[in-house]
Amino acid sequence: MTFSGSWKTYAFAIVPAIGLLELGAHEVQIHSVVSDADWDAAHAAVEAEWKPGDLVVFAPFWADSIGREHFGAKLAGIPDEARPDDTRFPRAFEVSIRGAHDPELADWKKTASRKVGAVTITTLENPSPVHLLDDLLDHANPVGMAVTRVDNGAESDCRWAHGATSAGGLGAGPATPGDRFACGSGGFVGVSIIHDLADRPRRCFFAPTAGGSSVVRVRFGNVAFGGALHGHVGLANFNERDRTGPNVTLTWRANDRVLGKITHVDGDGWKGFELSTSDLAGQHADLIAEIASTGGGRHFCFEADTR
Amino acid sequence: MSEAVQRLRRAWRTAVDLPATIGWRDHVIAALIASAYVAWLLSTARSLGFARDEGFYFHAAQTYSRWFEMLMARPHDAIKQSSIDGIWSENHEHPSLMKSLFAFSWMFFYQKHRFFADASTAFRLPGMLMMGLTQWVTYLFGARVYSRRAGVIAAVLLGLMPNVFYNAHLACFDVGIMAMWTWCIYVYWRSQAEGGFLWAIAAGVVFGLTLDTKHNAWILPAVLVPHAFFVHRRAMLGQLRAGRFTVPAALVAMATLGPLIWYTLWPWMWNDTLPRLQEYFAFHMNHVYYNMEFLHETYFEAPSPRGYMPVMILATVPTVTLALFVFGLASRVKLHFARLRAWGLDVMGRAHDRVRSPDRVESDLLFVLAFGAALGPWLLPKTPIFGGTKHWLTAYPFLCLFAGHGFDRIADMATSALRETRGWAERSRNMIAAQAALVVCVLAAPLAETAHSHPFGLSTYVPIIGGTAGGADLGLNRQFWGFTTQSLEPYFEAKAPRGATVYYQDTAGDSWQQMITERRIRPDLRGSGSLDSDIAIVHLERHMLEVEYNEWSVFGTDIPDYVLTHDGVPIIDVFRKKR
Repeated sequence: MTFSGSWKTYAFAIVPAIGLLELGAHEVQIHSVVSDADWDAAHAAVEAEWKPGDLVVFAPFWADSIGREHFGAKLAGIPDEARPDDTRFPRAFEVSIRGAHDPELADWKKTASRKVGAVTITTLENPSPVHLLDDLLDHANPVGMAVTRVDNGAESDCRWAHGATSAGGLGAGPATPGDRFACGSGGFVGVSIIHDLADRPRRCFFAPTAGGSSVVRVRFGNVAFGGALHGHVGLANFNERDRTGPNVTLTWRANDRVLGKITHVDGDGWKGFELSTSDLAGQHADLIAEIASTGGGRHFCFEADTR
Repeated sequence: MSEAVQRLRRAWRTAVDLPATIGWRDHVIAALIASAYVAWLLSTARSLGFARDEGFYFHAAQTYSRWFEMLMARPHDAIKQSSIDGIWSENHEHPSLMKSLFAFSWMFFYQKHRFFADASTAFRLPGMLMMGLTQWVTYLFGARVYSRRAGVIAAVLLGLMPNVFYNAHLACFDVGIMAMWTWCIYVYWRSQAEGGFLWAIAAGVVFGLTLDTKHNAWILPAVLVPHAFFVHRRAMLGQLRAGRFTVPAALVAMATLGPLIWYTLWPWMWNDTLPRLQEYFAFHMNHVYYNMEFLHETYFEAPSPRGYMPVMILATVPTVTLALFVFGLASRVKLHFARLRAWGLDVMGRAHDRVRSPDRVESDLLFVLAFGAALGPWLLPKTPIFGGTKHWLTAYPFLCLFAGHGFDRIADMATSALRETRGWAERSRNMIAAQAALVVCVLAAPLAETAHSHPFGLSTYVPIIGGTAGGADLGLNRQFWGFTTQSLEPYFEAKAPRGATVYYQDTAGDSWQQMITERRIRPDLRGSGSLDSDIAIVHLERHMLEVEYNEWSVFGTDIPDYVLTHDGVPIIDVFRKKR
């Protein structure tokens, strides 16, 4: 058999070659799925090194539920998965497949990396870890905090209620926490998880706005202060994404002075803030958060810690 | 070789040697392709759960069946407005043809004769047959315009697309409108090619049926009117100069018979016609936006991203099919560009070689218009994304027709190349083997992808994107309409407590009930629209993460009891209350 003619004679072969390449790629792809055994082996490898305070993240984000399924609540429980940010963690294990990385850890220092089957485990160190003095979410009980609602200058207590957490379907907003401070004139404050504008879970104080001139006032008792009050504010995705809602403001007070006022404008997403409390450093004092918005029922959520 | 064997061979040759003219044998070929495909659909129907809208249409079809029974028994009562409105008000935002076919199929193949074990298969049958009709017509179109080989390849490639395969199972309208769109264009084309009163009437009738299938039919005039004017331009110009204006008979028939048939077949329109017509138009012209993820962003309002349709075609249509389409289209464009150049030289009075149109009725132009008009709306910023690829299925038969022609060109080039290869082409068996190898090369990947995609057709992306995982990496939608719930049955079987309540999330209540009735899901399980259930699922679409996080709150854990995956990509998370 002798070939003759120019390359153009055989150019047609590109298309059947595409077909064969496509078939080959398909076969490779469907046979290169990360196995349960690899996920379990990765879990065992991370658990052997993990200590409380370490963060475990899964990359890409779409693999998160598989990661949680295999790693369990000890390594991938709600507080870590629905964390406000990564700053509090001194060390992280990035458990990744398909060469993906968590962009939030891009600035962290890589100290080790290894493959467990098709899973890559990368150990990273926080370049500037912080020490938390107080996490306000830990105050979510009738001893640690009190809630009132101020309507036309009259302040009324919101009583601690204990019940089952409830939630509606798509678009209904965050779950109404079973344990919450329920206000007689409507509204409540309690710890829930919101779906933020970037589709991430955020565990925070869910405090639907009262609307008009009403204010929801939260008093955190005996807070240990450091140099800064660090936190976030946000709205549930469906409540914010139209970008048509009125602003929500969160005013922080301590020792009869305003520490700062955070305004959340639709589109801000999960918005971080850090207020200086250097004059309170080393002290214990009450910390007051006031939530106000002209619009009622906004699915507002906030969290903060002292550091 | 004995004489008997030779006689047998001659008889076989006579039977299978196809005449140059397209005729009944071609209908046999088309029927074989269509039947094989419908049989494949029927054999896989049981393993595909019910999409959200299917539940609504199952219900509507059963409601309509009551009216048909009344029409047979008490026609005077049936045509009273009170009877019509009581029945046809259900799901009146869509016309009647497909739902009526679902109803007839259910009445005949399930209620009366129990031809199918599942009522759903009877409901789904008309949609499947519509897919067969599309392949049938695609073959005939390809065979008549290009070659039988092109027709066969086009019809087969059309079926070997994961998204088409998925939609072809459903008791919905999208494959129905693909069939009617293609058939209507075919009949119109025959009316142009053959002339005569009967083809024109047929075009009018089929257009009416298309109008009664889905509102995509409103776009058809944008295909047919410019084409007819272009084909008849000389005659029409001549008549205009003589002070007359004539319109091709098929267009007249479509403009008159079409709406008449549409109106006749849709009882809802018989009363209060104008306001109901206005409501029908308004519903579709102002259709709500659904949530659809595209490149890591959930789109839920205007403007839609212009890149959505092209990227989704690239991501869901097998690449070799697209390569053949590009090859086929390019070869036709080259031909017509030569025509255009010759025309330009003619206008300038310069000498040129004569370039003739490949056919009198400008079939390529018709195909391009049909393809472009089906896709055009998805380039408009106001058009909402609400159903992914299913809304432009009408473009695919024409995409495949060009792909079929592309295959023709490649096969011809391969034959020429092999003829130049000494020592190869001397044996005809070698040439046949080469052609067969070529067919395998272009069909194997689409077949493998389509077969593997089931029952996760909408989660599937083609290898050039990286498969299902590549689609997830790119931030493309993983599913919609909650059709994947049935794939949890092995989990339910193993883990669900007896009589457990299941929050079925995006699955429609009617769809869940049908799965229970047909024992596709354990019948003791109780579907629930409330998260306060023993088991809660979430269909993993980006915007539905709200539900996922709410399930964490309600169940007190973020650790799913089970994650349903396809090719390693999560499709559904399941949370279970620990007892």
